Amino acid sequence: MSGVETGEAVAFFLLAPLSVIGALGMVMARNAVHSALWLVLTMLSLGVFYIVQAGPFIGMVQIIVYTGAIMMLFLFVLMLVGRDASDSVIETLRGQRVVAIVLGVGLAGLLGLGTYRATQGLAVTGLDEANKAGNVQGLARLIFTNYVFAFEVTSALLITAAVGAMILAHVERRRGERVGQAAKMRERFLPGNYPGPKAGPGVYATSTSVATPAKLPDGSPAPRSISPILPTRELTAAEKANKHTEGR
Amino acid sequence: MPELKLPDIDYAALLPMLILFGAACVGVLIEGFVPRSVRNMVQLVLSLAAMVAALVFVIRRAGEVTAENAATIGGAIMIDNMGLFMEGALLVLGLVSLLLFGERTLERGGAFVPHAAVTVGSERDREQAVDSGATEVYPLALFSLGGMLMFVTANDLLTMFVALEVFSLPLYLMCALARRKRLLSQESALKYFLLGAYASAFFLFGVAMIYGFAKGVDFRAIHEAVRGSETSPTLLLIGLALVAIGLLFKIAAAPFHVWTPDVYQGAPTPVTAFMAACTKAAAFGALLRVLYVGFDGAKWHFTPVLGAVAVLTMLVGAVLAVTQTDLKRLLAYSSVANAGYLMVGLLGGNKDGLSSTLFYLVAYGFTVIAAFALVSLVRDADGEATHLSRWAGLGRRSPLFAGIFTFLLLAFAGIPLTSGFMAKFGVFGAAIAGDQTWLVIFGVLTSIVLAFPYLRVVVMMWLSEPGETTPSVSIPGVLTSAVLGIGTVATLLLGVLPGPLLELADQASSFIR
Repeated sequence: MSGVETGEAVAFFLLAPLSVIGALGMVMARNAVHSALWLVLTMLSLGVFYIVQAGPFIGMVQIIVYTGAIMMLFLFVLMLVGRDASDSVIETLRGQRVVAIVLGVGLAGLLGLGTYRATQGLAVTGLDEANKAGNVQGLARLIFTNYVFAFEVTSALLITAAVGAMILAHVERRRGERVGQAAKMRERFLPGNYPGPKAGPGVYATSTSVATPAKLPDGSPAPRSISPILPTRELTAAEKANKHTEGR
Repeated sequence: MPELKLPDIDYAALLPMLILFGAACVGVLIEGFVPRSVRNMVQLVLSLAAMVAALVFVIRRAGEVTAENAATIGGAIMIDNMGLFMEGALLVLGLVSLLLFGERTLERGGAFVPHAAVTVGSERDREQAVDSGATEVYPLALFSLGGMLMFVTANDLLTMFVALEVFSLPLYLMCALARRKRLLSQESALKYFLLGAYASAFFLFGVAMIYGFAKGVDFRAIHEAVRGSETSPTLLLIGLALVAIGLLFKIAAAPFHVWTPDVYQGAPTPVTAFMAACTKAAAFGALLRVLYVGFDGAKWHFTPVLGAVAVLTMLVGAVLAVTQTDLKRLLAYSSVANAGYLMVGLLGGNKDGLSSTLFYLVAYGFTVIAAFALVSLVRDADGEATHLSRWAGLGRRSPLFAGIFTFLLLAFAGIPLTSGFMAKFGVFGAAIAGDQTWLVIFGVLTSIVLAFPYLRVVVMMWLSEPGETTPSVSIPGVLTSAVLGIGTVATLLLGVLPGPLLELADQASSFIR
């Protein structure tokens, strides 16, 4: 099973440009959500590469863990932080971007060319042997023999990460700051507070768009029903009209 | 399918690391269950006890190393003489710098912020000024130290990479926890984290290239592949260069040093002392192992390149140290220059080079910890007064501490009767023996340049009149006094009676492949 087969070559030449485009888009996108989605594209392509190169386990892990879990978690965090946070385009160091691009392309060219020349005519060996007892079994054999210490010590890394997240992100509430359930309920039903859920967008309106505000009973739009991060949209006359609720 | 044979695990050899990791886990639990009022004391005692216990097991192991029992746990960890020496040195230096973590008399609540998540400058931030500092730093320091022990004994590049991450991640976190000048501290942590992640990526990329060349990542396979492989050496050179970048970043060699001044300045001073002594020692331990065990056959390739890096490092460190006005930044650039001197010894490339580098690491570690301990003493109402002009006339105010600092600076400058002289003498001698005289010439020249900023501080302390703004020198608590005492005495002893440590380093300077 050495050498490159047609299917493998087709898959590579289809996905390689996509993964590079994803990586470039990730770096260049102004919006953090777009960046994350570009990165998903790159990671999915990488996952397919791994599978094509006879590493199905690592390929599936790449797709399920990285793309599925970590990137989606990342998107949740971005959404919580605020979708409209975007990069400032002001360079703090003059000419830094140009220098970075020139050096980056130079390094990539150097490494790419070097690797290309070094791997010309290099025979692919050891793949069948590594996958002889099955791909997952082969990996398990390595993880539980040669690399068992590295594998176990990774737990130290996870504990450190958890402790670090607690230190840097968690503010302990002091005594007296804790509010009980009874006090919370009392506060909720205080005069001047609206205890019910707020209307969602589009309620009683003639459009299903999330950018259409709900209508109050008197027919006027309810500004609190649309998310503040959405761009304000000019409504058409049909959308402004009150919805027919009678006589149909 | 063949039977899976689980590797033999020599728990006695791994015990120092296991103790540190175990104590760190217990420390995390202490955070959850022990009341805040006694937490600092409990954590400090636990951490010190763990380090002493680990040190005891390192010493007990010292006589028992043979070629057969050195590699353990599937060949991932190599406890040879050199590894044991580095483990012992890291534990001793870590023990001394951990004493600084526990100091609570210089400032109410210690050098660490109680709640790092509180917004800087908010009302809550002002309220927490009187609270006791975060005690999570103790388990983090233990994790970091455990990772360092693993880093210097790792026998393959993959284990080395995991160790690199295990010891770096807690350091990034601890940098962000300064009580005063919190924005500077957070900025330094972010810079260190981003650049460190970048350096780790280079290291990992290099490992992949070397795997392609040697068909393995353990040092014996790499050694054999370098000796007699038919494959084109391009992959080897790319891989070695990328792995070296990852390691040179950690030892703060130019041009990978840019993080050093910012991080040294922003981090809490105890953490800076810990980083300056232990991170440098651990990274050099790993670099020695990589170059002497794995890539010794490629010596002709890497010596000129690393020699150029060493020269650049010495020049950048020495010249930029002259221009500094902040004492912590000055010590940071001095640490960059010292990385260059250490590389001179390393490139000597013989047994002398190895033993002199080991000696230098220990001698420099003691001196730098004591120097940062002294920096933490000179304070005013805003915390540490690190600007150079503030140190003018300090010799009149408190001759004892100014005297100690003068002695430490002279040790940095390499004046005889200090450990700095013996250390520099050793590495330069080894480089001459290894036909690297050009490095020694640059080393001596930059030493002369570097003496200037040190002597300027000395002159300022003793020959200027104390002004209105000259801060007072706080009376150190027991812990800082102990650190100052140990550091100064070690600097003096290693300068006057270097014999025992030289002998120890000489015995330790052998690898098992």
